[in-house]
Amino acid sequence: MDKENDLRDESASHFVSAASLRRRLEWFDKLRWVAVVCVVAATLVADRILPGSLPWRGLATSAGVLAALNVIYTVRNHRVPPRNLRVELRHVKLQMVGDLFLLTVMLNQSGGIENPLLFMYLIHVVIASLLFKGREIFQIAWLAIFLLTGDVAGEHFGLLPHHHLLSASPATHHLPFILLTLGTFWLVLLFTAYIGASIMRHNRAIKDELVQRQRELVAADKAKLDFFRFVTHEIKSPVATATSAVQAARELGGRALPAKVDDLLERAAGRLSLAIEMIKDLADFTRGGDLRRAEPVEVDLNVLIARAVGSQQDEAARKDLRVDMKLPSVQQRLVCHVGMLEKIILNLVSNAVRYSEPGGRVEVVLDPAPDAYVLKVADQGIGIAPQDQDKVFDEFYRTRRAQDMSNLGTGLGLPIVKKFTEALGGTVALESQPGRGSVFTVTLPRTGAAAAPDHTREAS
Amino acid sequence: MNTDRTILVIDDDIDLVEIIRMTLENEGYRVIDAQTGQRGIATAKAENPDLILLDVMMGTVDEGFQVAYELRGDAATRDIPILMLTAVTDQTGFGFDPDKDQQFLPVDEFLEKPVSPRKLIDLVRKHLPAKA
Repeated sequence: MDKENDLRDESASHFVSAASLRRRLEWFDKLRWVAVVCVVAATLVADRILPGSLPWRGLATSAGVLAALNVIYTVRNHRVPPRNLRVELRHVKLQMVGDLFLLTVMLNQSGGIENPLLFMYLIHVVIASLLFKGREIFQIAWLAIFLLTGDVAGEHFGLLPHHHLLSASPATHHLPFILLTLGTFWLVLLFTAYIGASIMRHNRAIKDELVQRQRELVAADKAKLDFFRFVTHEIKSPVATATSAVQAARELGGRALPAKVDDLLERAAGRLSLAIEMIKDLADFTRGGDLRRAEPVEVDLNVLIARAVGSQQDEAARKDLRVDMKLPSVQQRLVCHVGMLEKIILNLVSNAVRYSEPGGRVEVVLDPAPDAYVLKVADQGIGIAPQDQDKVFDEFYRTRRAQDMSNLGTGLGLPIVKKFTEALGGTVALESQPGRGSVFTVTLPRTGAAAAPDHTREAS
Repeated sequence: MNTDRTILVIDDDIDLVEIIRMTLENEGYRVIDAQTGQRGIATAKAENPDLILLDVMMGTVDEGFQVAYELRGDAATRDIPILMLTAVTDQTGFGFDPDKDQQFLPVDEFLEKPVSPRKLIDLVRKHLPAKA
């Protein structure tokens, strides 16, 4: 919810959210400690090399002020939860302004324009251009320029004390050097701000577009599922009634029906059954969200598998197939959305039976690994060519061989397997060789099958 | 034959009602029907049928359930077996498990449409109370 709000209201044209900005702020706190340590260390070293040249008391005070401020920032960042991006950004800005002032004070205490520390201003402008927008970036750049220029001018005209870093020649009185350095500094800072602002403006536009597209996709997906749902509900009743009518006609007509009429009715009944199967698959496919809302219940996986295999025995016998089950000898109880699990197993087993050549063998193996249930359904059927192996999990895709083999099947069986398995936190793998058979392996984590992640919430 | 057994069909799908009527009359049952839940309840009380075939979804998604609860709550109709028909099994999330759900559902059998005539006749026979 928070994340959504961020996306919609605040960071729609920002690249950061309140929470991600806070994580960065916490990093700034750490960097500021590094700065304090560096200032203290550099002062000590400088005092060794150039004894008495730097006002170490002043520098120590500045480091102390920085440390004290940082304690306040750190405590605030830990105590106050990040709520509002605008408030967080204002804090970043305040901290940055404070840091720039202290940087200028320390620069003044350590040689002013002679000190390469002035590169630190650049870092602030770069960070500002990443976090802020347009005018705010230039505000930071101009502040840095104003502070450095003020310090240098002050030192040059004797309004501010100057501490020599380069003892040989006091650069602060060397006007061409000052002007060259300041001129370069102005240019670099403003140019950095300009480039940063335009790059980030471009990035924000891309991000806004991505967010917009994402929203459209979610809406389109929902519309599709709503449509499927409507179709399944509205079409199933008349088709079911027509099926009953045809079946009743054959039943009531009995032997009195002319053979040709009975043959026609039988064909009609067959096609209507196929239509019903397709509608049922479509309903399963669209109601993943409903299935998830059902309470998870405890089941014995062995029983579900045996039931699924049992339901296919007639068809297997008709094709003279041998169906072997290798199940663990103890109950495999798990808490789970049974409807989905049942459908996964049933679809795999019925596919194995449907696409097996007569006389073949289907093997259903449940391997209870320590952290997962691994269900393998292997057949010696028509197999799936490598280029089709990803596509068979796409909605409505059926391989050529599958279409030749059987006009049953909707192309939704495997997509349902994939969708439901993933909804239960598991994975599906496929190994297959055309003409040799296929092995589908479903791996379900022992934990998480019950408390499945809410992948398909947007579909509901 | 079965002419003295009356079966009440409560369903708003007139075609299906006629199909069921033909199927069951062919077996010798007397078939009466009602197109709405309320009329179904009234007919059940007036005619005291031996068995009721009830559609889940008529006017509303669960009208059939409401009818079943009312029939079960009334002493006059409490003991009439109810076979419930539905076009969709996802009313409660997943397919009904008769072993498990029967204790919650006030019906004797739950059937997903289409039900073949054979199966319908078998189930009607199974649930009809033995003749007094």
